[in-house]
Amino acid sequence: MDILQFSQVQKSFGSRQVLKDITFSVPEHSIFGFIGPNGAGKTTSMKILLGLLKPDAGKITVCGKTVTFGQNETNQYIGYLPDVPEFYDFMTPREYLMFCGEITGMPVKEAKERAEELLIMVGLDQEKRRIKGFSRGMKQRLGIAQALFNRPRLLICDEPTSALDPIGRKEILDILVQAKKETTVIFSTHILSDVERICDKIAFLHQGEIVLQGDLAEILSAKTSGNVEIEFQKKEETKRFTEAFPGWKENTAFKVYYERKSEEERVAMLEFMAKEKIYPVRFEQLEPDLEDVFMEVAGK
Amino acid sequence: MRQLTAFIKKECREHYRSGKIWILAIVFVLFGIMNPAMAKLTPWMMEMASESLESSGLSLQATQVDALTSWTQFYKNVPMAMIIFLLMFAGIFTREYEKGTLINMLTKGLARWKVVLAKSLVEASIWGIGYLLMFGITYGYNAYFWDNSIAEHIEFSALCLFMFGLWVISLEVLISVMVTTTSSVTLFTVGIIGVLYFFSMIGKVKKFLPVQLLSAGELPMGSGNLGDYQMALILVAVLIVVQFVAAVLYFDRRGNL
Repeated sequence: MDILQFSQVQKSFGSRQVLKDITFSVPEHSIFGFIGPNGAGKTTSMKILLGLLKPDAGKITVCGKTVTFGQNETNQYIGYLPDVPEFYDFMTPREYLMFCGEITGMPVKEAKERAEELLIMVGLDQEKRRIKGFSRGMKQRLGIAQALFNRPRLLICDEPTSALDPIGRKEILDILVQAKKETTVIFSTHILSDVERICDKIAFLHQGEIVLQGDLAEILSAKTSGNVEIEFQKKEETKRFTEAFPGWKENTAFKVYYERKSEEERVAMLEFMAKEKIYPVRFEQLEPDLEDVFMEVAGK
Repeated sequence: MRQLTAFIKKECREHYRSGKIWILAIVFVLFGIMNPAMAKLTPWMMEMASESLESSGLSLQATQVDALTSWTQFYKNVPMAMIIFLLMFAGIFTREYEKGTLINMLTKGLARWKVVLAKSLVEASIWGIGYLLMFGITYGYNAYFWDNSIAEHIEFSALCLFMFGLWVISLEVLISVMVTTTSSVTLFTVGIIGVLYFFSMIGKVKKFLPVQLLSAGELPMGSGNLGDYQMALILVAVLIVVQFVAAVLYFDRRGNL
C-alpha cells in the first residue's frame, strides 16, 4: 500500500515557480530518498506535505487521507525532522520528550517508557544537560527521537545529514535504518552516497519536477554506464592503446578512463590487447553510481 | 485540555528558567517601593535643596506629603512598568518563528488556537500578579505611613490601568501572530498606542479610546468622575475579546512558522 501520494502538486512564490508538477508515491516500510540539488524544491514539498504551506494546485494523501493546509489532520501519522531541528533549549532532552508526550496525549507512564526507549536508541539517555549546550549532531539525534515519539507511520527527515561530520552522519543513517522496522522513512538529501547506503526507493527532483523515480537497485542496473578504466604495466602500452582507441576521458601515464562505451567497443578493446600482447594490470567496468544517473537526468 | 495545560506549563517553565519572571518580580517590587519612598524622601530632599538655595537668597516652604503624593508616583510609574513588561514579552511568538520550535509541536497535532490561548493567558497572568504586587506594596506602605482614605476610588482607578494593560497585551499578541520579527511587534504595538494617544488630544474622542484609562490616576486626586471611564472600560473589554479571536483566526491560517 502507498502510504504517501503526491499528485500534480504545484507551488509558486511570486513569479518563481518552485514546484511545477510533483507526482510520486511512497510504499509502506521503505526508506525513500527524495533527492535534489539545493533549491530544487525539497523543503517546499515537505512543508506542503505537513500542511505548513498551501499548494497552488494538486493533492497529497497520507494513509489515504487528504492533506489540508493549516490545522492538518494527517499530521497525526507523521513524524517530522526539520533540516535544522530547534527545540525549547531551556529543557533537558527528557523533559522535551515528555512535553511531546503531553502534546500527543500519551498516558504519562507510556510516555516515560517511550522517552527512555528513544533516548537509548539515539544515545542521549545519559545526557543531563539542557538542550542549549548540544552539538548539531546531538540535536539531530534528539530530532529523530521526537519525530518517532508517537510511533508515526511516516517519518519525514529534511536533509538530516547535510550539516554533520562523517561520524554524526553515520550515526543518523544507522538510526534511520533502525527506524525502518517500525515506520516508513522519507528523507530528502543532496548527498548521494547517503542515499546509496540506505534507500530502497528514490525520486529525483530537478527544477521543480520529478525527473526520475523508482527502485534504487533497478534504476542503477538499468543504467549500465559502460564506463571502463584500464591500468597498464608500461607507459609504452598506454600510449599504443590510446592511439588505437582515442576518445578517452582521462589519461595518465598508466591509466586510461573511457566513458559510455558500447559492448562491441569494450570487446574490441579486449581483442586489441590480446592481439598486441598487452597484459593490463586491471580492466575494470565501473558500476554507475547515483552521481552518474543524477548527472544524466539533470542533463549535465 | 492536556495540550493546553502542557503548553501553559512549558511557557511558565520558559519564563522561569530564562530568568524573565525574576527580572519582572524585581521591577514590579522596586516600582512598588519607589512610590512611597519617593514621597517619603521628598521633604528631606527639599530641605537639602533649600539649605543650598538659602545661601543664594531663595527660600522654599516646607512641603506637605501624604498618601496622594505616593499615589501620584504610582500612576506615573505604571506606564513605565508596562513598557518594560511589553518589551520582555514582545518575542514570545517571534522567537518561536525564528527558531522554528513551534513546527515540531504543530506537526504533533497541537491545536494552533491553544498556542495563542496559552501564551495570552500566561502573559496576562504575569501582568496581573506583577501589577497586584506593585499596587499592594504601594498600598501597604501608604497605609502605614499616611492614610489611604484621603485618596478616592483607588481600586477603581487601579482597575482601569490594569485593564489597559490587558488590552495592550491582547494587542501585542494579535500583532505577534501577524508579523515575523520581535522589532516589528514592538514597533507596531508602540505605534498603535502612540496614534491613539495622538487622537486622544483632539477633544471629545478621548472618552471613547482605550488610552483614556491612562488618565484614571486623576480620580484619586479628586478630579473627574467614574462615568468618564465607563465607555473606555467597556470598549477595552470588547476589544480584548475581539483581538483575541482575530489572533486565533489569523494564526490558524498563518503559513510562515
